[in-house]
Amino acid sequence: MASVAHDTLVLPRPRRQLLPAGVLQAAVWLLVVGLIVGPFVPMLYASVRDRPLYEAGGVLTLDAYRQLFSDGAFWRAWVNTIEYASLTTAVAVAGGAAAAILVSRTDLALRRAFGRLILLPILLPPLGLVLGWIVVWGPGGYLTNLFSQRLHIGTLAIDTVPGMSLIEASRLLPVAYMTCEAALARADSSLEDAARSAGASPARVLRSVTIPMLRPALLNSATLIFTLAVASLGIPLLLGTARNIKFVSSYLYLQWTNAAQPDPATVSAGAMMLLLVATLLLLLRNRLLGAEARYVSIAGRAGRNAMLPLRALRWPLAALIALYLVFSTLIPVLGLAVMSVVVVLTPLVAPWHLLTWANWHQLATGEFHRAIVNSLEISLVGAVLATALVAIATLVAHRSRFPLRKALPFVMLYPRATPGLIVGIGFFWTYLLTWGVGSWLRGSIWGIMLAFCVRNLPFAYVVMYPTLARIGEELDRAGRAAGAGWWRTSRSIVLPLLRPAIFSAFILMFVEILCDYDPALFLVKPGNEVIGTTMLSQFIQGTVGPVAALAMVQVGVTVVVLGLGARLFKYGSSSIGVTGGHDA
Amino acid sequence: MPEIDVALLGKTFGEQRALDDVSFTVGDGELFTLLGPSGCGKSTTLMSIAGFQTPDEGRIAVGGEQFFDASRRLNVAAERRNLGIVFQSYAVWPHMTVFDNLAFPLKVRKLSRKDVGTRVREVLELVDLAPYEQRYPHQLSGGQQQRVALGRALVYSPSVLLLDEPFSNLDAKLRERARSWVKDLQHTLGLTTIFVTHDQDEALSMSDRVLVMNGGVVQQVGTPEDVYRRPVNRFVAEFVGRVNLITGMVARYENSTAIVDAGEAVRGLRVHVEHTLLPHASLTVAVRPESLVVEPANAATYNGTNTISARVTSIAFLGDHYQYELDAGGLALTAQSPKQVDSADVKVHIPPDACAVVE
Repeated sequence: MASVAHDTLVLPRPRRQLLPAGVLQAAVWLLVVGLIVGPFVPMLYASVRDRPLYEAGGVLTLDAYRQLFSDGAFWRAWVNTIEYASLTTAVAVAGGAAAAILVSRTDLALRRAFGRLILLPILLPPLGLVLGWIVVWGPGGYLTNLFSQRLHIGTLAIDTVPGMSLIEASRLLPVAYMTCEAALARADSSLEDAARSAGASPARVLRSVTIPMLRPALLNSATLIFTLAVASLGIPLLLGTARNIKFVSSYLYLQWTNAAQPDPATVSAGAMMLLLVATLLLLLRNRLLGAEARYVSIAGRAGRNAMLPLRALRWPLAALIALYLVFSTLIPVLGLAVMSVVVVLTPLVAPWHLLTWANWHQLATGEFHRAIVNSLEISLVGAVLATALVAIATLVAHRSRFPLRKALPFVMLYPRATPGLIVGIGFFWTYLLTWGVGSWLRGSIWGIMLAFCVRNLPFAYVVMYPTLARIGEELDRAGRAAGAGWWRTSRSIVLPLLRPAIFSAFILMFVEILCDYDPALFLVKPGNEVIGTTMLSQFIQGTVGPVAALAMVQVGVTVVVLGLGARLFKYGSSSIGVTGGHDA
Repeated sequence: MPEIDVALLGKTFGEQRALDDVSFTVGDGELFTLLGPSGCGKSTTLMSIAGFQTPDEGRIAVGGEQFFDASRRLNVAAERRNLGIVFQSYAVWPHMTVFDNLAFPLKVRKLSRKDVGTRVREVLELVDLAPYEQRYPHQLSGGQQQRVALGRALVYSPSVLLLDEPFSNLDAKLRERARSWVKDLQHTLGLTTIFVTHDQDEALSMSDRVLVMNGGVVQQVGTPEDVYRRPVNRFVAEFVGRVNLITGMVARYENSTAIVDAGEAVRGLRVHVEHTLLPHASLTVAVRPESLVVEPANAATYNGTNTISARVTSIAFLGDHYQYELDAGGLALTAQSPKQVDSADVKVHIPPDACAVVE
């Protein structure tokens, strides 16, 4: 051992930071909480004022609520919404759980491929898929006509409440799939092996062990899917309105846009009520998540999983899942693709006689062109800003001693439960009340970007938090012990270790902002259109071809970005293990 | 100079009293060990000194500088305490090379590039890692990672070194080598060190002094010999090594020796005691298994004083010694001896100065 004059070396003590960490933490906390909770304050205020916020004077009153509650149409909308959300939840949860069990616990044919493909419906642009459904299966849709006129077979009417909920369920099924799949991956499959060696048949194991074990995951995903279905606007608006089936979200939207005399107070009151329901559902879900932790069996070692043999059912069940993917994803996307290159899609004339590039040419001009440029711009800038903010906020929430940090996780998940429509109304009022800054935001695409960022910020948090939790806390303590302050430690140690998750969060944010539309419905103005709002308004006006082309652009960009992300992510994350230090 | 002064630390987690009036002083250059079972508060104490936990009560000072004082709401931030810490997981930053791991504390202290290089290489030399400076942690063995952690804790010549169970992740062979290596290094550098462990062998072999803790309460502070040979209570006696506990009653007391009766088989046991004991007082005597002398019943070495007869109920061969389970008229005893004794009936001699009276 070399002898070193240890005592003679006198190094400077670490210096006090110029800016105390607390100031930065407080600033981030205030920004996050302000952006998420802030917009609802003016909305609440608007709902209890007797005239719009932009008119001077006015007194506080509950008239808006009284008027809303006495409107029979509003209650009918609630009945429709609850029926729609319940049906959606039942179908999506049953389907998602079944798929999760098949993929992770049986020898289903092609299960590896299905494990990935089954996530597609939730990753692809929701509005585009709905338009695809309408083009193909809607009233007057291509296959609807083909079946009824040529084959004389009736198809399911998708413009009824059950029909609409089937479409919604096919989109939300992956939510249940992911939750159940994660629960199954955590649970040790030796629990099932034990039951089998005790003499239980595979079906019996499923009934007595696997499904009871999944109960928390089922409840949890059911609550989330119910909340998302209640908040849904696209399907109700596009399919329900024509048949005069109104849902709470579409009722509020139409009250605002179609009424001869728009009544902001009533719409705000309705939005408050919807927000209250969504909040209660989120709180319920939080309790269920707490309960789920108790169900976690001893940390399951991944690896050897004895598969339940399906025998003769291996291929038929695989075909069933394939059928789901065909209906939920392939047919709508194909429908859009064909629609975008024909003059009109009709069973009377073969599509290849009607080929045209006119729809695509339109994308290079006017509103369509503006929408594409705007969307790409806000997706890129918004994803960068939101990911950066959420990364730091996640550190404040879980790796700081900031006194109010405990509130952050709940607040950051909150927008997930909030209907986009309501986020839009909230930001609309907020921009109206914040003078110069507000009017600048209202007049530019950045106002829409801010609303989209806030709406989708939970995705970034949900991606980053599990990775952060795996980075041993001793790693940042070692940084502090070495003399680095909170921010220096975060910058040099925690954030670099979090890099793969930050990158995934960025990709996801980009895609989500690109595909989002409903918060913008109240904010959009000529000049600051985004893809989603343009698709919706043009489709409602009857422009189908160019809208299909626009949807294809959205689908294309999403697929490319996700594919690229998956590639780079695989490449970037392989070299570093991010545990406590030693390989435990 | 870097004397560590911990006074009356208290901390409560919910209903649980995690630290209860914990006080001790560590002298300059001393290797001081906090020993106890998991959850006894030893890590909480260490992390309070490091600044990662905030006690509810008490004071902590290092080298005359107050780090923590609950009554004055003083709490110096962890990064300003200038202490070297080796964590249980080593916490070697996986995205930095060995060199960068050691350079980080120096960069934080704004040393020039040149000085950083010189100092890091100097310390890498010290911890025998010079050939590995460009490796990443996942390319190192557990023992090497531990030395990276140690080097990183030493590179900025902290006033005090804190070690949190640093050997618990090494296998048995490596652990023994690492122990003597760390002890030598500590001695060479003359570093005041606090060491946390639940392993009594580690505590006894490395420390200048040992503090035994249980349930957040300090049980005993003393040299390794003190806590092993003269445990003050049952907990210390049982936690630090194996022990035979003989409970009896004082029959007589003469010249700092108590004559103890413990049941039918053990009568007139002479026990060396520090202070006067009244007759009929009940007391418990602790004797280490290796202090008991086991002989065949017909051997003539020991007779009379402190010798009882017993029956061997089982023998286990443990390589360097035999372990005898004995039954002395209902009293179960464990004895260890390098000698093999074949007969079933034996005599057991209990040396008076090997007996410690425990509370």
